[in-house]
Amino acid sequence: MPIVVNLDVMMAKRKISAGELAERVDITPANLSILKNNKAKAVRFSTLEAICRELDCQPGDVLEYVKDE
Amino acid sequence: MTTKWTATKSLFLSRTLTIATLVMAIAALFCIPVISEWYAALSEKTDLHGVMPVVLYISDGLAIFALWQLHKLLRNIHAQRVFVTENATCFRLISWCCFAVAAVWLFTTFWQFVYLTFWRFVAFLIAFMAAFVGLIVRVVKNLLDAAVELREENDYTI
Repeated sequence: MPIVVNLDVMMAKRKISAGELAERVDITPANLSILKNNKAKAVRFSTLEAICRELDCQPGDVLEYVKDE
Repeated sequence: MTTKWTATKSLFLSRTLTIATLVMAIAALFCIPVISEWYAALSEKTDLHGVMPVVLYISDGLAIFALWQLHKLLRNIHAQRVFVTENATCFRLISWCCFAVAAVWLFTTFWQFVYLTFWRFVAFLIAFMAAFVGLIVRVVKNLLDAAVELREENDYTI
């Protein structure tokens, strides 16, 4: 998939654990893991909004487009 | 007194009917020599003993396999595993079984061992019905494939 989720990078920058972020964003740790490991097929705007709010970042900091080889 | 017909009861009925048909198909295996002899006597040909049982054994074997797949499918539905790839595979195998039966009976239709015109027509009718059912099952399989994809997309939307 050409869209890469760089959530772990932002989490490391903000020094926040996966469990804590999942709790703040109000999603299950399992779903956060799916998102972090690039297994997700889609992200709701509400989830993206909550992630950006909690990590104090822009959607572009979390999502990246990488051209397919 | 009215009986409330629930989905569970409907599923139970389907499973029971599938198992009953499976048992009948297995029992039919033992009746094939008798049916072949009866057919040979009816068509007034003596050299049919070798060919007709083969056609019937192949058809019955495929029917047993298809019924077993149907049983697996219903077992999955009972276990709440509906939109899974395994079920689509079951439909695909059932569909191929139907097409194989259709091919066998189409071969029978145009082969000279079908002596009487009426039986030729019956063989063609069986081939047509098997192919028709195979086609419908194949469309259902395509539908289930799309449903599995949708479910996966839904499950992986965070």
